[in-house]
Amino acid sequence: MTALTVPARPEDARLRPVPWRRMAWVTWRQHRIALAGVAALLGALAVYLWVTGLHVHHAYAAVAACHPASSNTCATLTVNFNNANGSTAELIAALLQGAPALIGAFVGAPVLARELETGTFRYAWTQGFGRWRWTLAKLVPLAIAVAAAAGAFSLLLSWYYAPFFADGNQTPLASTVFDLRGVAFAAWTLAAFAIGALAGMLIRRVVPAIAATLAATAGLGLVTGLYLREHYVTALVTSNPNVPGSTMGSNVFVSDPAWILSEQWQTKAGRPVSESALGQVLPAQLGGKGGGIPQSFEVTDYLTRHGYTLWTTYQPASRFWPFQWIEGGWLLALSVLLIAATVWLVRRRAA
Amino acid sequence: MTIDKGIGAPDGAGGASPASGGGVGAPGGGSRGSGSPIEFRLDAASGVPTYLQLVHQVEHALRLGYLKPGDQLPKVRDVVASLAINPNTVLKAYKELETKGLAAGRPGQGTFVQATLSQVALPELTALRRSLLGWLATADAAGLDEDGIAALFTNTLRDFRDRRRGSARPAGGGTEGVA
Amino acid sequence: MNMNVVEASGLGKRYGRTWALRACTLAVPAGHVAALVGPNGAGKTTLLNLAVGLVTPSAGAVTVLGGRPPGSPAALDGIAFVAQDTPVYKNLSAADMLHLTLNLNRRFDRRYAETRLGELGIPLRRKAGRLSGGQQAQLALTMALARRPKLLVLDEPVAMLDPVARHDFMAIVLMAAADDGVSVLLSSHVLAELERVADYLILLSRGRVQVAGEVDDLLAGHRLLTGPAAEADRYAERPVVHLRRAAAQAHLLVRAGADDPVPPGWEAHPVGLEELALAYLREPGAAALPGPARGRALPAETGEPSEVR
Repeated sequence: MTALTVPARPEDARLRPVPWRRMAWVTWRQHRIALAGVAALLGALAVYLWVTGLHVHHAYAAVAACHPASSNTCATLTVNFNNANGSTAELIAALLQGAPALIGAFVGAPVLARELETGTFRYAWTQGFGRWRWTLAKLVPLAIAVAAAAGAFSLLLSWYYAPFFADGNQTPLASTVFDLRGVAFAAWTLAAFAIGALAGMLIRRVVPAIAATLAATAGLGLVTGLYLREHYVTALVTSNPNVPGSTMGSNVFVSDPAWILSEQWQTKAGRPVSESALGQVLPAQLGGKGGGIPQSFEVTDYLTRHGYTLWTTYQPASRFWPFQWIEGGWLLALSVLLIAATVWLVRRRAA
Repeated sequence: MTIDKGIGAPDGAGGASPASGGGVGAPGGGSRGSGSPIEFRLDAASGVPTYLQLVHQVEHALRLGYLKPGDQLPKVRDVVASLAINPNTVLKAYKELETKGLAAGRPGQGTFVQATLSQVALPELTALRRSLLGWLATADAAGLDEDGIAALFTNTLRDFRDRRRGSARPAGGGTEGVA
Repeated sequence: MNMNVVEASGLGKRYGRTWALRACTLAVPAGHVAALVGPNGAGKTTLLNLAVGLVTPSAGAVTVLGGRPPGSPAALDGIAFVAQDTPVYKNLSAADMLHLTLNLNRRFDRRYAETRLGELGIPLRRKAGRLSGGQQAQLALTMALARRPKLLVLDEPVAMLDPVARHDFMAIVLMAAADDGVSVLLSSHVLAELERVADYLILLSRGRVQVAGEVDDLLAGHRLLTGPAAEADRYAERPVVHLRRAAAQAHLLVRAGADDPVPPGWEAHPVGLEELALAYLREPGAAALPGPARGRALPAETGEPSEVR
C-alpha cells in the first residue's frame, strides 16, 4: 500500500530481533524528566559545593601554611578552622548520605512500577521488541547514567572534604564520609537503582515502590556502615597507643587518621579494665576518682607506666582504597544480580 | 447508460473514510468516490439479516430505476466504511445477487449490475391491483383484521414460493400462522 | 490463508484458587472477525491476555498464527493488541507515540498512521492524556494497524466510546479486515451490534467456552420453535438449548436446520445472534462447539437464505 519502514517477510522462521539501539530514543523520551531531575539536583548541589569548597580551601590554605605543624599556634589554627567549617561539612555529609537512595528510588522504581500501575505494559510488552529485552534495554543505560553522574559528583565531594582529612579532623574511613567518595557513591547509587527496579516490578505501584526502595537502601547502608564495613579486612590490633588520630596517643592531629574501632585498657595480666576502675587508679590531677577519663596523652603515659596496656583495634587510613574496591565490588555484584532478577521476573510472569 | 467511473479518488487512497475526531461523523460519505449510483443503509433493529437487507436494497433500487444494468454496486470497502459491517457480509450479499443473476463481479474492478428484475407492464399492474382490492374486501367482510390479513398473506406467499421451488418441506408455518 | 489465528487446547488460567478460564478449546480461523462474548467476569480478558502472551497458562496450551507460542518473536510481530481502556502514555504526544511504536517494531507504516490521524482530526503535537476517550482509542487503534499485523486483538475496545466514536472505530477495524485481510479477535459484552460485525462467535460463560463457530453456521443450525406449552416436554429429547414457557405457549430454541421437519402445530423461526447468545448464557450446561477446525475465509455456499418472519 504505502511505504513501509522495514519490509520484512513475516514468514521467516527465525526473525531477526529488533535492534537494541532502537530503545535508546525510547528510554530517553520516557525517562528524560527523571534524568533531568537528577542532573538538576546534582548540578545545584555541585554549584553549592563548589562555592563553599572554594571558601573552605581558601581557609585551609592558611592552616596548611603554618609551620611547624605540631606547634600550639598551628594546632589552634586547625581547631579554629575545624570549628568554623566542620559543622557545615558534617551537615552536608549527613544530607548527602541519602542522595544515592533518592536518585536510585526516583529513577529506578518508576521504570517498571509506572508501566504496571497505569497499564501501559499491555502496550509496551506486546510490541515486536519483546518484553525482557525492553526491560534490559531500559535498565542498563539508566543504571550506567545514574552511576556515572554520581561518580562525577563524588569527585567534587572528594575535593571538598580533602582538607578535613588532611588536618586530621576525620578519618577517610568514617561512616559519614566513606560512601561519599571514591567509587562508593556511584556504587551505592547503582545499587539503589537496582533495588528500585526490582521493587517496582514486585510492588507494581510507583509511590510504594519508591518508599520501599528508600527504606531498603537506607537499611542496607546502615547495616554496612555499622557492622559490615569494618570487617572487610581483618582489623589491626596494636598495643602501641600512638595510632594515628587516636586521642589517646601522641599522634592526634595527623593527616589521614586511622579509623579507631575500639580502645580497651587491660591489666598486666590481660584482664579488661573498666573506665570506672581506671578512674580509681588515676591521681586526682589527671581527673581520676570520678568523672570521665580525659582523653589525653598524659593519662595514657601514666597508665602505661603503671602496667596497663591499651589495645587499639583499628583500620589504617591506607586501607581506604582497598575498602572502596571491596564495597564497590559487592555493590556492583548485588546490582547486577538484582537487575538480572528483575529481567527474569519480567520474562517469566508479566501480568 | 454511462457507467459512473468514479468522480473522486480511486479505491485505496485513504478516501471515503468517515472523518471523526470524536464528534461529528460524516454520513456515509461515499458519494465522493464510490462510483455507484446507490448507497446502502442498515436498519439494525429490523431483525432481517444484514446481507439480506443489502440484497433487498439492490432489488428495490433496480425496481425503482435507481440502478440500471451496467451500473456498479458500491465497493465492499466503501460499504464497510460507511456502515461498519463485516466485509464478508457484503461479499455474501453480492454472491447472493450473482446467484440470482442480478449482478456479476469483474475481477479487479468491482461488482456490476447485470440484469434487471422482470418488469410488469402497467396495465397488468392495474389489473392485479384491482383484483387484490376485491380480495381484501372479502377478507375484511370475513372478519380478518389488518394483521390477520398480513399474516395470512405472508404464510400463503411462503407456501407459494416453496411450492414453486419444489422443496420437500412439509407445510412449514402451519395451518394457523397467527400466534 | 488457511491457518488458525488462535488455537487453544484445554487452556486454563488460575488466579489463586479461582479459575478465571477453564478447559478452553478453540480454533479460530484466519480471515474472520471473531467476537468473544460473555458477561463481565467470564474470562474474556484472561483469554485475550493468554493469546497475546501477557499471561502464561496454568493448564493446557495456546498457540497463535498457525502454531506459534504467544510472546515468541513471530507472534509479537504478527499480533497487535489494544487493551481495555486503551492505555497510552499520557505524557507523550501522538507523534511521540508513533515514533515509539516505530522503534519497537519491525514493520511500521508511518505514512498510513499520520494520514489516518489527520483524517480523524487528532493533533499530532497534543499530549495523549489530553485527548478525548474516543481519540485515545483511535490513536491506539491507528498504531496497532500501522504495524500491519496479521491478527488484531481488541479487548472491549468500544466500551467507553459514544455511539459515533464507536461506529467510526469499528469502521476502521473492518476496513482493515477488508483491505488487508487482517483477522480480528475482539471481545465485548454488548451483544446488540455484534451481528453486523462478527462472522465468528465465541461465547464464554464462567470461564468456559459455551459456543464457538462461524456465525452463519450457528444461525443456520438453530431454530426457534413456537408451539403449545403442553407439548413442550414431548420434544425434550431434541437438542433443546433453551425453553421458555407460559401457560399456553412455549418457545424452544433447538439445534435444528432449516430442512429439519417441524412438528405439526409448531412454527419454526430463524434465530438472531443476540437471541442465540442470550439463550446459551441462560443455560450454563448447554454448548455448541464445532467439529474439526476449518479455515475458510469466504462465506458458506448458500442454501436458501433464512426466511424471515
